[in-house]
Parts: sequence; structure tokens; C-alpha cells
Amino acid sequence: MTTDRALSDFSVSASFMDGQVVLALEGEVDVLSAPEFGAFFETMIDRGHRSVVLDLARLRFMDASGLAVIARGANRLEVTGGTLTIRTPVAMIGRLLEITGFARLVQLGPDTSAYGHLGPEELVADGAANHSYGMTRALTKFASIHSDDDLVDGALRMAVSLAGAAVGGADGVSVSLRRRGILSTVAATDQTISTMDANQYQTGEGPCVDASTKGHWFHAESLENETRWPLFTPRARALGIQAILSSPLVVQEHPVGALNIYSLTPSAFSVRDQEMAGAFATRASSLLGDAEANLSDDDLSIRFQGALRVREVIAQAQGVLMEREGVSEQDAYGALRRFSLSNGRPLYERAENIVASARRSLTDADG
Amino acid sequence: MRMADGPLHFLDLFRIDAALSHGELWLRYFELGGMSTGLQLEAYLYGALRPTHHDHDIIAHALNERFVELGGNHPVPYADDAARGGADHWDDFDGRDDVDGGDDAPRGAHGS
Repeated sequence: MTTDRALSDFSVSASFMDGQVVLALEGEVDVLSAPEFGAFFETMIDRGHRSVVLDLARLRFMDASGLAVIARGANRLEVTGGTLTIRTPVAMIGRLLEITGFARLVQLGPDTSAYGHLGPEELVADGAANHSYGMTRALTKFASIHSDDDLVDGALRMAVSLAGAAVGGADGVSVSLRRRGILSTVAATDQTISTMDANQYQTGEGPCVDASTKGHWFHAESLENETRWPLFTPRARALGIQAILSSPLVVQEHPVGALNIYSLTPSAFSVRDQEMAGAFATRASSLLGDAEANLSDDDLSIRFQGALRVREVIAQAQGVLMEREGVSEQDAYGALRRFSLSNGRPLYERAENIVASARRSLTDADG
Repeated sequence: MRMADGPLHFLDLFRIDAALSHGELWLRYFELGGMSTGLQLEAYLYGALRPTHHDHDIIAHALNERFVELGGNHPVPYADDAARGGADHWDDFDGRDDVDGGDDAPRGAHGS
């Protein structure tokens, strides 16, 4: 059986087979078409379908509103013991699922061939002819990873939107970030939530401030009984907030902000909600870490020269082992690696010792 | 190098757990003698391309050195470990036994 509904450039069809319902999406899911998609998806869940497959092979575009629909559906299916599988997303959407960390929250279908759409030039075999060109291009890419604060903020806004949809007890979500020493809200689901954050910055206390500075999570299960933040708590209760979950954003082991989830209901966050919040915070931290990795050209040049030197020493050590032990290049590498593992020391350090030892032997022989 | 047979994104889960950007991991991989471009490395991580044994082991070692730096163990399996562990052929090894079903971040990377 197949049902078709269409709205502008979006359509969805449902097929029923082997106890599964397969929803095939076509066109574009955006703020206009997401309600249609959501109504269709939720109707299937309301009808008792517990195994839902979203086939995205013919979906060209999806924004945060579409991801929010999927997050809500995934959450409902999870609660009822059902499963959601996402099948064959085109490269852009697959990447979107990946960037947002969403791919980790749902089951990806067996056919993920679209992930291989990196362009034919990327599928060539390794070889000296294209190696230097590829390296230059990879360096260019390395230098340009998330260089723009707007891009990072956009990704954080998407994380906020997804967390709001996926964490069961959430009535509002925000991300606070310390930039140039000042903690501020870079993404929030609505104005009340922004005000909640601002109240914490003004009073200098609250779970968001503590998570952002102390680097561990804070859970205010019920503000009625909360005593840790005497200045902030009355302001939060005046806005109807009853529970707060703040998870730290950590970059290079330093707290830089927090993912804050607010609820109008006391004890709203289950253990699973807390785990989900942690997963979103980890993903947001990773996005920020990528941004942090954006180095100046000079820094990059120094790093790359250092990498070349390390690489050369390792190659020399392999040569020494091949000569001394009569082993292959790969066996020599394996020996270095095993020594590194068993001693908990960097492979480079072992390589440097071997090369130094070989140099001493040569000097002694000459002497 | 050839196309992977299925989703093998477990290496990218380890990368996330190691708090390394793709660029950082590529630099470490390159230091250790890796010969693939950054884009090819990403394809290995996502499972879109399958690395050679040697490339896999360099990626695994780059990640393991990072975990040791963080005070943890070295949880990323090597290709030759898999062969010794009973996988008769590289095709039998996909590392998923080591990543908690493959649907979540690797466990036990820190301090295990």
C-alpha cells in the first residue's frame, strides 16, 4: 500500500512491508513542509507502527525543522520500544546528520553508499603523482575548518533545536559560551530562555554559570527545594522554571560554556534525558574544538614542519631496523608500534632513540 | 584502497571520544607516516572507504597515542590484533565488537 501527499516541493509516500513502515521523502523539508512531514510521521506512530524507516534517497534538502521532526519521532519510538532507521541520505543530508551528532542517536540503514559521494577525484588510489597535491589541499582544508564564528553559532543553534526536540522534559534550551572572557548566550529556543541565562550572568550564579566555570554538570531537579543559588533561583521560579540541567562544553580540557535545558515541570529529566543532554553537549564541544583548531598560517606552517621532521625520523628508524633485523618496512613499523604500546611512550620517541643509537654506532666505527 | 562493504564509522567515534578535530587527527596520522589526504582520512573514518591494514594501524595508533596522552588506555584495535584474535581475513574485522554495538561513543577510553 502506498499513500501520497504533496505540499509544494515536498512529498512523502508510505510503504508497508515485513512489519515495517517505510516513509520515502522527496524534495525539500524546510520550515514550510516540516509540519506536513511531522503530521505524517506522527500519524504512523499513533497508528501503532513501531519500526519506521525513513528513506531519504530522494530528499534534496533538510534544515533544522526537519531534523526536529525526526528527533521527536525518534524520541516517541524510543519510549515505546520502537526503532527508527534512516536510509540512504544524500551526501549533504548525511553530513548534516553527522555534523549535528544526530547520526549517533538513530540507526543508520544498511545502504549508506551516499556517504561515498566525495567526488571522483577523491576515490583515486594513493600515489606519488597526486600525493603532494592532495596534501596541499588537505592543509588548506585543515586551515579553514570552521574559521567563522557565525558558522559555529549556526551549528550550535541547530544543536539547541535538536536537543529541545530530543530531550523529553525540555521546555527550553540554550547554549552559553565564554568568548573573550565574557559568558553570553549564543543560541536559545526562545526569549524566556535567554532571560533565564541573562539572570544567571547578572547574579553571577546558577547551574549554567557553574557548569561553564567548573566543567561538570549541574542538575537542579526541583527549584522549590534548591538552595545552591539563592539570588538566581527566585528569578527562575518567577518565570515558571522548575528544573534545570546544565552540561559543560569542554574544549581541550577547559570548560568554555554550557548546554542548558530548562523545564516547567519538577523532576522532568529522566536518566535517558540526562544522557541525551550529555551527548549533545559532547557534540557541541567537538564543534567548538574544531573551531579552536583553526590556526593562523604561521602556526600551521610550524606545525606542519614539525610533523615532517617527526615523519622523517620514523622513516629513518624503520630503515635502521630493516637493515639491522632483516625485516620488511611494515614489520619494522609494527615493531616500533608495539614498543610504543607496551611502554606507553610515543612511537616517535622510540624512533629517535633508534636513530641516535645508529648514529653513535657509525661514529664509533669511524673512530 | 577500495570502497567499504558497509558502515564502519567506529573510527570516527573514537576520534570524537579523543576530542580531536579531523585536521588534528590528520596531522598526527601524517606524522606517523600516513600517506592519505585529509579527505581520504575522513572517508576512512566515516567508513566510506576502507583503509589498507597499514593505514588502519597508523590511524589506530594516532588515536591510541592521544588516549594515552589523556591518561587512558589504548582502546582502538589494530588490524593485526584482529587477525590474531580469530578474524581470518581483514574483511571479517570491522571493529564493531569494540564500540558497544556501534551506536554510541566508544567506552572505556579514559582511565580504563
